[in-house]
Amino acid sequence: MGEQELFWVMSPVIVLASLTLLFARKAVYVLAGMIVVMIGLAVFYVTLEAPFLGMIQVIVYTGAIMMLILFVLMLVGVDQKESLRETIRGQRWIALAAATGLVVLIVTTVYRIELPIRDIGGMNDGGNPQVIANALFGEWVLVMEILGLVLISAAVSAIVLTHLPRSGDRRSQAERAEERVRARLNPVNKPMPGVYARRNALDVPAIDPEGKPVPASISRVLKARKQDKDGSEWRAIGKDEAAE
Amino acid sequence: MTFESPIIEWAPLAPVLIVFAAAVLGIVIETADPKVWIRRRLQVALALVATLAAAATAALQWSVLDGDGTRVVVDRIICDRHSLIWMVMIAVFAALAILLFSSRVGGDDAFAPLAAAAPGSEEEREASEKGLAQTEVFPLALFSVGGMMLFTMVSDTLILFIVLELISLPLYVLVALSRRRRLLSQEAALKYFLMGAFASAVYLFGAALIYGGAFSTSFTIIDTAIVQYHGREALVLVGTVLALVGLLFKLGAVPFHAWTPDAYQGAPTPVTAFMAAATKAAAVAALIRFLYLAVHRFEWEIAPVLWTIAIATMLVGTVAAIVQTDIKRMLAYSSIAHGGFVLVAVTSFEREALSAAVFYMLAYGLATLGAFAVVGQVREVTKDGSLGAEATRLGQWAGLGRRSPWMATAMAVFLLSFAGIPLTAGFIGKYVAFKAAFDSGGWPLVVVAVLAAVVAVFFYVRVIVLMFLTPVPEDLKDAVEVTESTGPSLVVGITALATVLLGVVPSVVLDLASNAAILVP
Amino acid sequence: MLSVTWLAIAAPLGSAAVLLLGGRRLDRWGHWLAVAASTTSAVVGVGVMADLLSRSDRAVQQHLFDWIPGGELEVSAGLLVDPLSVSFLLLVGVVGTLIHVYSVAYMEGDPRRRTFFAYLNLFVAAMLLLVLADSYLLLFVGWEGVGLASYLLIGFWNQNPPFASAANKAFVVNRIGDVGLVLALGLMFAHLGSVDFAGVFASAPTASEGVLTAIGLMLLLAACGKSAQFPLQSWLGDAMAGPTPVSALIHAATMVTAGVYLIVRSGPVYAGAPTALLLVAIVGAITLLFGAVVGMAKDDIKRVLAASTISQIGYMMLAAGLGPVGFAFAIFHLITHGFFKAGLFLGAGSVMHGMGDQVDMRRFGGLATLMKVTWVTMGLGWLAILGVPPFSGFWSKDRIIEVAFIGEGMKPWLLGGAALLGAGLTAYYMSRLFFMTFHGKGRWTEGQHPHEASALMTVPMIILAVGSAALGLIFAIGDSFVTWLEPVTGHVTHEDPVLAVPVIMTLTLVLVALGIGLAYRQYALLPVPETAPVASLAVQAARKDLYQDSVNSVLLEYPGQTLTRTLVFADAKVVDGAVNAVAAGTVGLGGLVRRLQAGRVRSYAAMMLVGVVVVLGIVILAINGKGWF
Repeated sequence: MGEQELFWVMSPVIVLASLTLLFARKAVYVLAGMIVVMIGLAVFYVTLEAPFLGMIQVIVYTGAIMMLILFVLMLVGVDQKESLRETIRGQRWIALAAATGLVVLIVTTVYRIELPIRDIGGMNDGGNPQVIANALFGEWVLVMEILGLVLISAAVSAIVLTHLPRSGDRRSQAERAEERVRARLNPVNKPMPGVYARRNALDVPAIDPEGKPVPASISRVLKARKQDKDGSEWRAIGKDEAAE
Repeated sequence: MTFESPIIEWAPLAPVLIVFAAAVLGIVIETADPKVWIRRRLQVALALVATLAAAATAALQWSVLDGDGTRVVVDRIICDRHSLIWMVMIAVFAALAILLFSSRVGGDDAFAPLAAAAPGSEEEREASEKGLAQTEVFPLALFSVGGMMLFTMVSDTLILFIVLELISLPLYVLVALSRRRRLLSQEAALKYFLMGAFASAVYLFGAALIYGGAFSTSFTIIDTAIVQYHGREALVLVGTVLALVGLLFKLGAVPFHAWTPDAYQGAPTPVTAFMAAATKAAAVAALIRFLYLAVHRFEWEIAPVLWTIAIATMLVGTVAAIVQTDIKRMLAYSSIAHGGFVLVAVTSFEREALSAAVFYMLAYGLATLGAFAVVGQVREVTKDGSLGAEATRLGQWAGLGRRSPWMATAMAVFLLSFAGIPLTAGFIGKYVAFKAAFDSGGWPLVVVAVLAAVVAVFFYVRVIVLMFLTPVPEDLKDAVEVTESTGPSLVVGITALATVLLGVVPSVVLDLASNAAILVP
Repeated sequence: MLSVTWLAIAAPLGSAAVLLLGGRRLDRWGHWLAVAASTTSAVVGVGVMADLLSRSDRAVQQHLFDWIPGGELEVSAGLLVDPLSVSFLLLVGVVGTLIHVYSVAYMEGDPRRRTFFAYLNLFVAAMLLLVLADSYLLLFVGWEGVGLASYLLIGFWNQNPPFASAANKAFVVNRIGDVGLVLALGLMFAHLGSVDFAGVFASAPTASEGVLTAIGLMLLLAACGKSAQFPLQSWLGDAMAGPTPVSALIHAATMVTAGVYLIVRSGPVYAGAPTALLLVAIVGAITLLFGAVVGMAKDDIKRVLAASTISQIGYMMLAAGLGPVGFAFAIFHLITHGFFKAGLFLGAGSVMHGMGDQVDMRRFGGLATLMKVTWVTMGLGWLAILGVPPFSGFWSKDRIIEVAFIGEGMKPWLLGGAALLGAGLTAYYMSRLFFMTFHGKGRWTEGQHPHEASALMTVPMIILAVGSAALGLIFAIGDSFVTWLEPVTGHVTHEDPVLAVPVIMTLTLVLVALGIGLAYRQYALLPVPETAPVASLAVQAARKDLYQDSVNSVLLEYPGQTLTRTLVFADAKVVDGAVNAVAAGTVGLGGLVRRLQAGRVRSYAAMMLVGVVVVLGIVILAINGKGWF
């Protein structure tokens, strides 16, 4: 006992979390929702006496895959939003009606069926990981090999679609600096932000030798979130002068 | 806890293993990164040898097969005559498709020189000038081929799913690799991928429900569970319907067909040919195994569904094909209709249907490969006089008979075979398929099928009329050219000859197919 | 000669292949190759007949090769040489060869003459395969082959859009008939276990009447499609768009009579299906009147002949529908009709040739003196079709009228009456054609100089005219033709018709004379207006083919025509090269499909989801209440 109660507590959580996939506008929220779903599944596995699977679920999905996706999102830009406006007429209603229909059909069928309680005692004799290992490398070994092939083709496919070989030779730093000078661009690095006595956070710009703020020194991300400051309130010179 | 080593019969797996080994070897060659021309030659040779060797090995298996079949992995993967004949067919289709993959027109093959470069970008132009080639297509195709061959032996819902993914993944990518009209190609691939993922999800849901009802993924056990576990068969039935959706998706049956025209049109033509011929054959093989071994006791329950789908598929495919003005799209819809025709046979649940389906898919696959091979040869001529994209608008095919009598004649043979005109393979195929359905009382289905076939004659003959009876329009005189490169010409020749031979003397193959009409549970 | 029967098919087939593939270098002499191939068929036909006459068993089956072996269904490709098929072999061979020769001159100067001859040869090969086949399946091959050749030849001048659409119309209507044949094949196999003639006929007597009736009706549907019988007659008039030799060979003498052949050949099936047989006779009777009425109102010389063909085939169907007693006369009339109708068509072609492709009879007139050969040959054909003794039609058609009067109850009166009335109508419209063309004042358009055609054209016409005049008499002496066909049709003791034979004969001749007289008064003595006068509703209806197209479009062809129009529209667009065929797709059914296939992947997914729900719903509904739960 306890298993059923846990199920009824966890499943609404999982369902709600999975709804973020449909309704959240920001990819990060979707990701967070998915992490909740994955962890919830892991809890189910553990309560169903599949602790190994539960652990693997957390380590592989939550730990590795979700983090990987998060990294990708950060590279692409966390500030991107997805439009949820529906452009196809009637699409929402059709989708809603069909989905409801599917749920009703399956639930009414499954609900009317009495499933026997299977005795799975003794299934984990010798240790849960060992049992799984025996299955994977015994009866299912060929399938594991096939999965290996699936992975190879997936990896090669990904490389084919994304890998751009470097065209031309690699340029040295000196060459690149020279180019910048020739192009009359700023030849030196951008200054670090936040160099005030009273505030050294990343959201205030650096000041150039003339005492003017350098907006380029603030991270793009902060600007996009509108979290950047112009730094005037912390300046040694009075605000009015800076305004001139 | 002691480990018991599994009992696996490796010998029947040999054809599949050959293909997989070649695929992996192909990847190894890619990693060594030799010069383009070496790479391409190695890959083509490897792929051709592997597919032909696989066909030969599978044929050899046939002669040394013990009894009706061998259980490769208990009751999960089973090699019998029926799977062997499919394997040979798929391997031969693959070999022909590889010939198309390898063909080059004006030095360019059908694939993007550098798939990662954005369409129209500087990198793309550079890659094209340097003569780069995405030779990974060969090992990728081989992975898919190996999966398809394995598909015909699988008797387990879980393995079926994994192999389905092995077949699909490389295909998604191959669709995206067209050299010309790349945005169309990438869009097609994305659509195919999304719809494929959706279908896989539905299948998986179905497989889970089946497991819930039968406590097993093995076809044999599902079969007995349906009668044994009274009260749970409804669960298995619902699961069956959902799993069928996943398989019917691959076959392109209505209403799960919507991806087909887009994917077929956007994909590089050799890939279209490969998908239309080999994937469809594999899908039919797996569908038959699933229906006939696992859930045939539900015959009465799922027959209405299959009938509805078969009728809808034939009608939608035929009607939509009529209004197409792009030859690739027309052939795509026609392939949907053909999926419906083969379903007519499959729904009969008769032993006869096994051989009928084999013959039908052979006839259809050969004509399809040939037809797309011809499509790949009809090119637009750009303003500077070089060869451009394929001329797929029907109007551009006017007077093709005058430009290239042989190509046009072969195309006519394929179209007549599609139409089911006597003395072509397609006629015999339709005949045996409809007969199988008719014998089991499926005459309404046959009536619809015959009507659809009759209407279909229309658009096939229209193309023939366009090719032979319509003069070349003045403004298109120099705008279209038919190249006759070796690889595709070879494919066209072989398939045309086979199409006619199968129509005139189908006896040999029909005999083989009826010999193979046995499924080992 | 029997052993080389296959050569009759192979020679034209090979020649067609050579002509199609040979390219321009054959342009100069290719047509003579075609003539030679057709002549070969005719010579083989003569030889085979001689061989057959010297044998005691008059049916020889020749095995060619195994086509579909093994299992429950074994079909081998083979030829059946018996009096029936040899009669056709000779008809197709001889008339075909004459028309080939005629075409050499007629198609002179056409840039695609070689292709034309290739199709013509293809047709001969397919037609011979149709009649020589020893199984329904092989017959079907020929059946489709002649359909294809006919389609290609009707649309031969397809640069003219109406011609192309005529070809499409023929194609669609013929496909409706083909469905009948395919279903008949299926029924035969399912219930009689065989599709070859020998097997079917052997097991037919044991089958139930219901099955045989179903097969009979399906075969009738097939025959109606191919032979332009009511209600599938609409295509033949439009098919006149093809070159005139094609109309003569395919749409008068041979292909359109294939339906009659099919019925007669299937005699043993109909023996067990009296209902189906009666329907054949009724269809024949309706068609013969229909064709005659339409023929009376048309002004286009070829369309009058087409209507007449429909009507005459109606006679043959009527005879075939009378059972074994009529089979022989159906074929008898078929052969004589083949000669005189081909002759009439070639005559019409010669007139058109001389009048600069004019087809309106109101613009002819007074040609008798200028085109003497044509006048005489068409005159002989005219007398033959009218059934004036001693010309061919008298021996064949009047016998049909006679046997139509055999039977009990209302049937002989109705069928016989129709046949009798048809004879009168035929006399009227054929005389109308003859007088309007050759007599009265010349009503030619400016700048026309009617002239006689070259010998290449006139010689075939003369030979056919001689055939029209004499063939009937020759065949009728001692009932030789009927006796010759007996191995196929069976020997039937002649019953007496409900009216005495001399009475029928007199009545027929009186009606014919009346028809000629009326036509003579109206079209030879009185002036003929150059444009059709406003006429009564009945005549207007007849001019419009008794509204067959409207009726068809409502009842039969609505889906077919929508498709045809879509196709023709798409075709025109495609051919013009000015393609925005997206517009074409919005027409009719295609529009719906396109809306579903708008390229949006989410719509696709929705479609799929709806599909899943629907199929799941069907299944769950089906198991509800089965006590599964």
